[in-house]
Formats: sequence, structure tokens, C-alpha cells
Amino acid sequence: MSLSAAATDSPPPPAPDITENNLQPFFVLHQVSPQKSNKKSTRTAKTRRRIDLTPSLPKSVENLEVEKAEEGDHGYVNKRMETFERVWSKIELTIKDVLRNLNISGFNEIHRWVRESFNTIKSFGTPSFPEATQSFPIVKDATSKQVFTGLVLTKNMEFVDDLLTFEELGLHLKSQGCHVANLSSLDFSVKNGIGGCLRSLLRQLVMVTLDAPDISILATWYREQGNCNNPVVIIIDDLERCCGPVLSDFILTLSEWAFKIPVILIMGVATTLDALRNTLPSNVLHHLRPCKFILGTPFERMDAIVEAVLVKQCSGFRIGHKVAVFMRNFFVSQDGTITSFIKALKIACAQHFSAEPLSFMLLWFLIEEDSQVLEGENYGLPSEALLKHAFDLPSYRRNKVTELNWDTLVHGLSELKNLQNQWSTVLLCIHEAVKSDKIHLLDLYCEALDPESGILRVSNAPKGIQKDSTISPGNKDMHKKYPSLQKGGFIWQAICKLRDLPAMQLCTLLKGWEKHTAGIPEIHDKVKELLSMLKFEDSKSLKGDLIDMSKRSASRSHLNLGKDSKAASEKAARLAEFMVGNYMQALECIAFHEVVCFKDVDKLQAALIGDPRRRIQVDLLEFHNIVQCSCCGRHGNTLLPSMHDSSIMHALAQEHGDLINLHDWYQSFKTVLLSSSNKWKNRVKHSPSPKKRKVTTEHAKPSEAAIQARFCKAVTELQISGLVRMPSKRRPDYVQRVAFGL
Amino acid sequence: MVKEEILQITRRTTRSFSSSAAAGNEAEKTKISEPYNPTLKDLVFGGNHLNYDDLLSSFPARGVQISQITRLLGPLNSPMLPIFIYGGASTGKTSSILQIFRHLNRPFVYASYRTCYSPCLFFESILNQLLLHRKNAVNGYSSSKRCEKPSDFVNFLRESLLSVINDLKVNSGKSSNKLAGKPHGSMVYLILDNLELVRNWDKSSIILPFIFNLYDILKMPELGLIYISTTSPDTYYSNVGYIEPIPVYFPEYTEEDLRQIFMRNQANQKLYSSFLDVVLKPFCRITRRVDELSTAFSSLFRKYCDPLNDLEHVPNEEMKRRMFSHFQPHIAPSLNEIFWVPSWPSLDVQPNREKKQKSGVKKSRGCEDFAELDFHMSTSAKYLLISAFLASRNPATLDASLFDSTAGSDSRKRKRKASVKSMEQKEAAEQELLMKGPGTFPLERLLAIFQCISSVADDPLDEEHENCALRFESGDSGFMSDVLMQLSSLCNANFIIKGGSCPLEGSTRYRSMITEDLALKVARSLKFPLPNYLYRR
Repeated sequence: MSLSAAATDSPPPPAPDITENNLQPFFVLHQVSPQKSNKKSTRTAKTRRRIDLTPSLPKSVENLEVEKAEEGDHGYVNKRMETFERVWSKIELTIKDVLRNLNISGFNEIHRWVRESFNTIKSFGTPSFPEATQSFPIVKDATSKQVFTGLVLTKNMEFVDDLLTFEELGLHLKSQGCHVANLSSLDFSVKNGIGGCLRSLLRQLVMVTLDAPDISILATWYREQGNCNNPVVIIIDDLERCCGPVLSDFILTLSEWAFKIPVILIMGVATTLDALRNTLPSNVLHHLRPCKFILGTPFERMDAIVEAVLVKQCSGFRIGHKVAVFMRNFFVSQDGTITSFIKALKIACAQHFSAEPLSFMLLWFLIEEDSQVLEGENYGLPSEALLKHAFDLPSYRRNKVTELNWDTLVHGLSELKNLQNQWSTVLLCIHEAVKSDKIHLLDLYCEALDPESGILRVSNAPKGIQKDSTISPGNKDMHKKYPSLQKGGFIWQAICKLRDLPAMQLCTLLKGWEKHTAGIPEIHDKVKELLSMLKFEDSKSLKGDLIDMSKRSASRSHLNLGKDSKAASEKAARLAEFMVGNYMQALECIAFHEVVCFKDVDKLQAALIGDPRRRIQVDLLEFHNIVQCSCCGRHGNTLLPSMHDSSIMHALAQEHGDLINLHDWYQSFKTVLLSSSNKWKNRVKHSPSPKKRKVTTEHAKPSEAAIQARFCKAVTELQISGLVRMPSKRRPDYVQRVAFGL
Repeated sequence: MVKEEILQITRRTTRSFSSSAAAGNEAEKTKISEPYNPTLKDLVFGGNHLNYDDLLSSFPARGVQISQITRLLGPLNSPMLPIFIYGGASTGKTSSILQIFRHLNRPFVYASYRTCYSPCLFFESILNQLLLHRKNAVNGYSSSKRCEKPSDFVNFLRESLLSVINDLKVNSGKSSNKLAGKPHGSMVYLILDNLELVRNWDKSSIILPFIFNLYDILKMPELGLIYISTTSPDTYYSNVGYIEPIPVYFPEYTEEDLRQIFMRNQANQKLYSSFLDVVLKPFCRITRRVDELSTAFSSLFRKYCDPLNDLEHVPNEEMKRRMFSHFQPHIAPSLNEIFWVPSWPSLDVQPNREKKQKSGVKKSRGCEDFAELDFHMSTSAKYLLISAFLASRNPATLDASLFDSTAGSDSRKRKRKASVKSMEQKEAAEQELLMKGPGTFPLERLLAIFQCISSVADDPLDEEHENCALRFESGDSGFMSDVLMQLSSLCNANFIIKGGSCPLEGSTRYRSMITEDLALKVARSLKFPLPNYLYRR
């Protein structure tokens, strides 16, 4: 008590206290966590401030090294930033290319359909200028009033990923000469009605903005530009979000003008075609002449991105097993968008470069593609501290090589790169085998990254750094070494599948392998050998086999006939096992992998998901960690009037159930606020009027009205931060806590 | 002349237009063809003259109505009372009236409330036509007059009508019928189409009586008013007194009418007639709208002709029978099919198309098949969707017994009574449920169910053999932290509908809009035993 009194009386004068109070609502809402965890780590205030510039806050030994190194070489920070920018721009570019390539065939299909539909429209005849711009409809048969509609199924409930797709589709069609307008669901809102979408349409096509947009303008414009050989394509990217009545009005208008303006609609459907039936009434539906298109599924896109960015050597940047699993789970079970996957990747990348002092060496991975030479001098030899850091990396210590110099590091890194190339080749081969089984590369990737199998392997061959031992271990202990193979993982499944693959498919598969393994002569030769053997057999019994092929699926009795190919597939399976065994060394078992690999899954999770609601609640309860005032520091659980009102209220609310009686709440709030003054009173004996107290002490007892005002303010703050809900009509004197485990 | 004046009235051009005009390069400017200058001729339908017999023959079942309307319009230059044409959608109202005017070759002004979706646009559209003004690039796509208030409109209308009528009189006096395109007479008719849409306008209480009152307000015998609506005059009843327009009703077509309509312009009359024999009767029971029928028939006819290699061929009886047997299975599905989405041929290989057809059949027959969910959704969104479905379907009072770990799923089995009365009650309750549709629920209930089922169902969900541990480590909190985002994207996909007002007020209630079919599909993809949790009366 006395302590609190002292705190309130001494140094902090009341005036700044009030201003602080004023600021605190913002504090409550916007306070970020770093400072808090900062406090836990036992760094001095000075370093803390400096570290705040970089987004990460490490705690482990490794990170202590980071800071030490940082103190030594500030120059490398810039280098790292530069490297990050280059690496990320490379990754971004790759992703863009991959997505574009995936879409291009679909786009071409759509364009062909657009042209064909346009020809159909033109076959009804071309109206003259006055005809096309007159206000009354041209009487034709009913089918000419139909609007050609392409329904593009994006196969993902979340449509964020497809914003870009539709934009690109628009550009693609534009480049082919069509007049394109991209509308979004925002244009189809109840508030603006049909005027909203027409306005946006005219703005994009005619380039005018009018108060009262009118579709007849579009007709005039279309005829005015003289050249009527291109259709008007209207792309609406998310059908589900559009307001149904407005959209149907729009379609009816279009169909009324269909003959005068050759409009072709393209709509993105995120879920199923039923969405269209649910949104539009039937009298509108039969004005559409639909046709559906399917662009790549999210999993296809994801696999393509994973292949290009993570499996192949795109930028050299890698993610560890746990991070990969986390990102996969986040994609599968939570967010499900490629956008957020890319975001996660970017966060991981940024965190890697900010935390890993040696990460600037990734630049070498980038450059090396052009010139095979690595010149350490280009970067200036790293200082002793950095070098020491490099040899302190756990992956290196595990391998225990005694030489500690720059060359070892360089050698280690180029070794790492080689091993990675082999690894990705094998992974792609395996994926090739199971592509048809709907096993996604992402899953395969996660499994292949699992370091457990790798560690076992490394323990067998003590020098992970050395050029990989080509002594193949016996097939028997293969399973011992690869627990994942036994568990029935995807790789194991793939190998099993290889065993009973018919000859035809095996042949195509091996051809695919031949392409993939071009970089690794040892495997390449074996694949070739196998392929030639298969071809030889094939030509021997080609006829029989072809007939056999069709029957085999029906009856197993023909199995004997295919014995030769059976042997071949057995061999292929052996080869796969051999590849997995010898060339698939998990990244995290290779020395110096920390340089290129981001492994800190917790940091990524915190950055990506965060937990804003819980954060708010925790911050409210442990506010002094943030505010760090001297007045209400360590007092355990006692509530002090000097605390922030919302904190008091929130702490009090903990005592109630789901429903909080406002009156009780207020009373206890009041008690808390008055508690110190009460204690004062006890000492000075009863003085009935509060005014006297005000005169005598600086810290006056707040009036009833002030308390009520503060109470209201605090409740509102809690409400805004989403913790309580206002009283309902049924229970006017209760607020409800919004208390689900969020 | 009037037109010059109009061009002088420069409406304020918006910034974007002026800038775009400035930016437009020379090449583009030359590309724009000469602006079209409308003349009085544009007030008539134009095209070739149509004589009365042709008019009647082009509308096989509308002879009565056409003669009635022409009688009401009266001879040249005779004043008329407003006409109100009504009848169901796609019964030929608009096209008949337009063709009648083509036949009469009299000047008219047409405005559809579909295109002119606001009073302002409607006023300006009529004035533009009367003043022979076209919105084009030269005048920045602006109207001749800016007119927002009905009172302004009346003034402008009177002004412009007078000048047009004057012109028409001068015109007909100067050169009587020298040119075929010249409009006949000096009456101007105002055709107002889709009148029923005006009822939805905000200010319908002002605009609608105004439109009906136009005749009284203007008091110009040279103006004829024709209203076209899909709904009967009774639906426009209001207390404001005005001269009731003369109603002309376009009844629905009969089967015989439809036959005549569809037989027009057919290349192979016999073939088509045999096709109609098969198709028309069943379809007439469903709809008699010409537009709906013709879209349905156009695809069906193609199927019907599939066995024929020569469309000129006149089928004999035996051929007809063969074609019928080939064709018959297609009829029933297409009767139920409102909306048939084919896919682009070259994209779909054969097996795919077969599958699609099957799914189409499935939809139309409403039978359940074990199709997969064919779009991507994250796992937590799936659980959320199922919980929303359950919350909408089950009464809230049952939640405890359904989701309590001890009660399990068999609580629904205790109801076993067979008395007639209880059966009746049950039925009534079922009816009631059907009428009410899915119920609403607050967010808390949704989240409670979500937590229950996602934690329960995590156990059987053992696909992720390798990373189970990691999954559960971040399990619950991971699922939960993102849940509100998931909810909002479900709302965006129209799977869940959010009712209620201010988000701060917090009394938002949700309602799941998905069919049981979809819910079952989603549940199947999660291996979640949804039927066990569904409460059935």
C-alpha cells in the first residue's frame, strides 16, 4: 500500500499521467509483441533498440552469434539486404513465369471460344449505324438475344489467387484485339445498382466517366470506331460475390442489346456451377449461352511453383523440413491460397536474410549460374568472426572437419549445391512416377526434406562433405535406413507403384527420367540402360503386349505374359531405391546448410498467423510489461487505480461468466478506482465531503460522473477490441463476453 | 435549327474524358468515322415497308391484338387515348407494337425502362430522341438536355414535341410521300416498355403516377402514349386520379400457336413438324415462353437430327419412329434442365465428357452420387462449413446431447412412436421445417460446434501420417486463429449468409445456405460422419 502511495505521490506528476492515459487506448490496440519478448531476453536496452530494426528477435545460441557478428561487420548487413532483394525478385519472377505458363493454354482456349462465339454473333447479321444505336430493340429470334458466357472454374473457394489470373486473361485477350473490360464484384453492389457496373464498363472501354452511364453509349462507341471485327469481352472475376439482382439486371440489359453490341461475358466461378443457379433467376439464366473452362487447380499450381522455386535450383534459398511442413499444413488446412503460400515464403526469406549472417553468400548461388567460378575476393573475405560463425554452425560441428578456412567453406557450399541438385533430380523422378496418383509434389517435397532419414544416412558415411560415396548399400538395409520408406510414405508408395507398372507406362516414365537425370551421369546411364532393355523387349513382343495391355486390367491371368516387363519394372524400382538411397540426402544433414536454409518455424508462424485476439487479451492482463510504469509494476494480482481503465475492466471481467452484470461490474470498477483514496480516508478518519480531500491531496478522488465516464469509455474500448458485446434487448443490464478460445 | 442549338449546349465534360480526348492520338481520331446525323427519318422504324398481311402473317397468333391496336391507334393524325399493353414475358408485345409502327410508318419514340434504369436517363433518352440528338464521341457522350426533375421534363418535352410536330407538318406538307422513308402523319407516339420495372425505383411513388399522368399534364392531342408491361394494370393502382389507359391483353400462346410460331422460317417443314410432334406437348406443360422454348428446342433439334446425314431429307414414318427411339431418352432430362453448361469441346476429352453428362443426369434426377468435391477448400473451412450446416439444421437444444462426448450420436434414436397422431405431428413439423428453411445461429454456437467437431474428427483424420505430431502441436490454436477469416470467405462464397447489422453491435446471426448434398460431399472429403450428427424428425 505504502509503496503504491509513494508511487502515486512521487516523481510522476499527475499531468503526464493523464496524457499517458489518453494515449493508452492506442497502446492497447496497437502494441506489438517484439518489445515484450525483448524484455525477457536479457539484452541491454541499447542492443534492443538496434535489433528492433531487423524484424527478428533470436534467442538461441546461434543468434547470439549473429549479434556478435553483426557488431563486427555492419557492411554485411547491406550485402545481405541486397542479396535478399535479388533472391526474392528472382523467386517472384519465377513464380510469375510458372503461373503464366500454366495458364497460357487455357487462355488460348478461351480466346478461340471468344472468336467462335463472335463469329456466331456476326452470323446473325451486322446492323447499320442507325440500327445499332436506335433505342428500340431489333426484332430477331430469341437465340440471338443470348449472351455468350464463358464460365471459368477456378476450383478454389478463395478467389484471391485468381485476381491475377483474370487480369492476365484480360491482357491476353486485349493483345489479341478484343475490347476487354475487367469488372469485379465491387461493381455489382446493391448500393450502386446497375449504374455502378455500367459506369465502370464505360470508363474502361469508352474512357469516359458519366453521371448517368447508359448502355446505348457503348453501342454508339462500338460502331463509331469503325472497325467492328472485334468482340467486347467483359470479365467478371468473382461471380459468387456479386449481388444477384444487379448482375441479373446487367445480363438482361446486355441481352436486350446483344445484337447491337457483340458482348461476350467471362465469369469466374470459385465453387461450383450451382453458384450460378443460386445467384441468378431462371429467366436470366436462359439468356446466357454458357460454356465452361477449367484453368489449373490450386494443387497443380502449387506443385508447379514448388517445383520451380523450391525443388529446382531457382535462387538457392531453401526451407527446412519443419518450415515446409508448416507451410504445407497452412495451405492444406487453413488458408488454401497460393498467395499466402508465397507470402509465407517471402517472410521466411526475409527472416533468413536478417538472421543468418552468412546468408549473403547465396548471391554466389545466383551468380554462379552464369559463371562457374567462385571468387571469394569478390565479396571480400569474411572477417574472422563470420568465419568462426560458419564453423560453429551445428551442421558443421557435427561433421567435425578440422581445417578452418575460407576454402573449406567454399568447398562445402559447392558440395552442398551438388548434393541439392542430385536431391531435386531424384525428387522429380519420384514425382514423375506418382503424378497420376494425385500425390502432390508438395507432400513429396515435405517427406523428402525430412532430415531423420538423412541423419541416419550421414552416420553411415561419416564425411557428409566428401564427394558422395558411390558405394551402394545393399538393398536389404535400405529399409532400415529409411524409416519413411517403411512407414508407407509417399516415396515408398512410389517405389511400390513402380513394381507393378505396365511396360508402356514404364517406358514413358523412364523417358521422363532420362530428361530429368541429364545432369547426373551415373543415374543417367542406368536409366538409359534400362530404357534400351525395355525397348528391346518391347520390340520383341510388341504385338502381344499391345493386345495384352488392354486385357490386363480386366484379368490378372495374363500376368505371366508380361513377365518380362515385370522384370523391367522391378529393375526400375531397384533403380529408384538406389537413387533415393544414394542421391537423396536431406538438406538438413549437409554441412553449411544453415547458410541457405531457413529453419525457424516458430518465427515464421508468429509472423504469418500471429494471434491478434489472444495477444490483445494477454496484453490487457499483463499491460505493465508494455507500459513499464513505475506506479503499478509488481503488485501481483491486486488491481490499482493507477492502472489503465480497460485493463482494470478486463481483469474484473475475468471473474464473471459469459454474462457480466453491468451494475456489478461498475461497482467493482468503482471500488478499485476508489481503493487508494479509501485507504487515505481510513487514515484521516471520515471526512464526508470528497471535495475536502481534493483540496488536501493532489490525487483527488474522482467524482461519480468521472467514474461513470471512464467506465463507459473502457467498456467501449473493450467492445471495439472485440472482447465484449453490448447488452441485447432481452437482457439490457448484461454485457456478454465474447469468450471463445480465440 | 434545333440540332445546332443542341450542340451548343456543352455539358460539363468530366475530367477523364477531356484528358482522354487530349491524349487520343491523331490516328485514333481519324479512325472514328463521321458522326452520324440523325434526321426525322430516324423517328420511324425504317427498313422496308411492311404491308398489313405480312404483319399478320409474321405474328401467327396475334391477329386479334394487332387489329385491336391498329384500331386504337386510329387513322393518320387522329388523337388517341393512352394504350396499356400487358401480358406475360415473351408473348410478343414489344415486337408486335414495333412491327405495327413499321407497317404504319409513323414516328415514335421508344424507351425501355430496362435500359433507362433511372428517371434521369429516361427523361434524357426521350428528349434525345425527340431532339434528334445522339450521344457520340464528338459531344462527349452527353445528352442534349440535362433533366432530372419531372417538371423540367414536362417543359422540355412540350417544347421539343412542338418543334418536332411542326417539322413533321412542314415535312409532309412540302413533299407528300415522295420518299418511302418519310414518316407518315404528324403525331408522335411514345412507347414506354418494361413499365413494371418502374415500380422498383425509389421514387416510384412520384414517377409512376407521373408517367401515367403524362397525357393529362401535356394535354397535347398530337401525342400518343403506349405503355407496355408484363403485369396487369391493376398492379399499378394508385389513388392519384388519371385517365385509365385502354388495356390490351396479350394472352399466353396455346400449343397450336406455338406450333405455328416455331414452324415459321424452318427450312425443312416436315422434319421440324415431326420434331415438334415429339417435343412440344411435354414442354408446353412446363413453359410457354417462346424464348425459353426456342433455346431448349434449338439444342434438342440438333440431337434429333443426329441420325440424319441430310437435313433436307423428308422423313417417312419408319424413319420417324427410329429417330424418336433414338431421341426419347433426351427429352425427360432436358425438361428439368434450366441451365446446361457444356464445356469447350477441345478442352474435354471423351471420358471427361461422359462423366459430365453423368453429373448432369444426376442433377436433373436429383439422385445422389458419390462425386467428389470438385473445388479446393482448406480443411478448417470445410469443418466450419459443416458446423454451420449442422447449426442451421439442428435445433440448438440438441447441441449438448450431440456433441457431448458421452452422449454420442445415438441420441436421435430414442424417438420411436408409431401412433397416427404423432406421425401426423411429425409430418407437420417436417413441413414446417421445410417452409422455414435453414435456421439462423449466432457466431458463438458456430464456433462451439466447430471446436467440437474439429477436435473430435482430428483423430480419424490420419492422412498426415508423417507430420501428425507437428500438426497437433499447433493444432487447435492454429485452427482457431484463422477461423474468422475462413468464415468471411465462406460468406463471400455464398455458403453462409450473414444477417444483422453493425459488426460492433455483435448480434450478427448466420445461416448456412448449402444443400445437404454439398455438405455430405464436404464431410466425405474429411471422412467426417455427418449423418450421425444430423437430427431428423
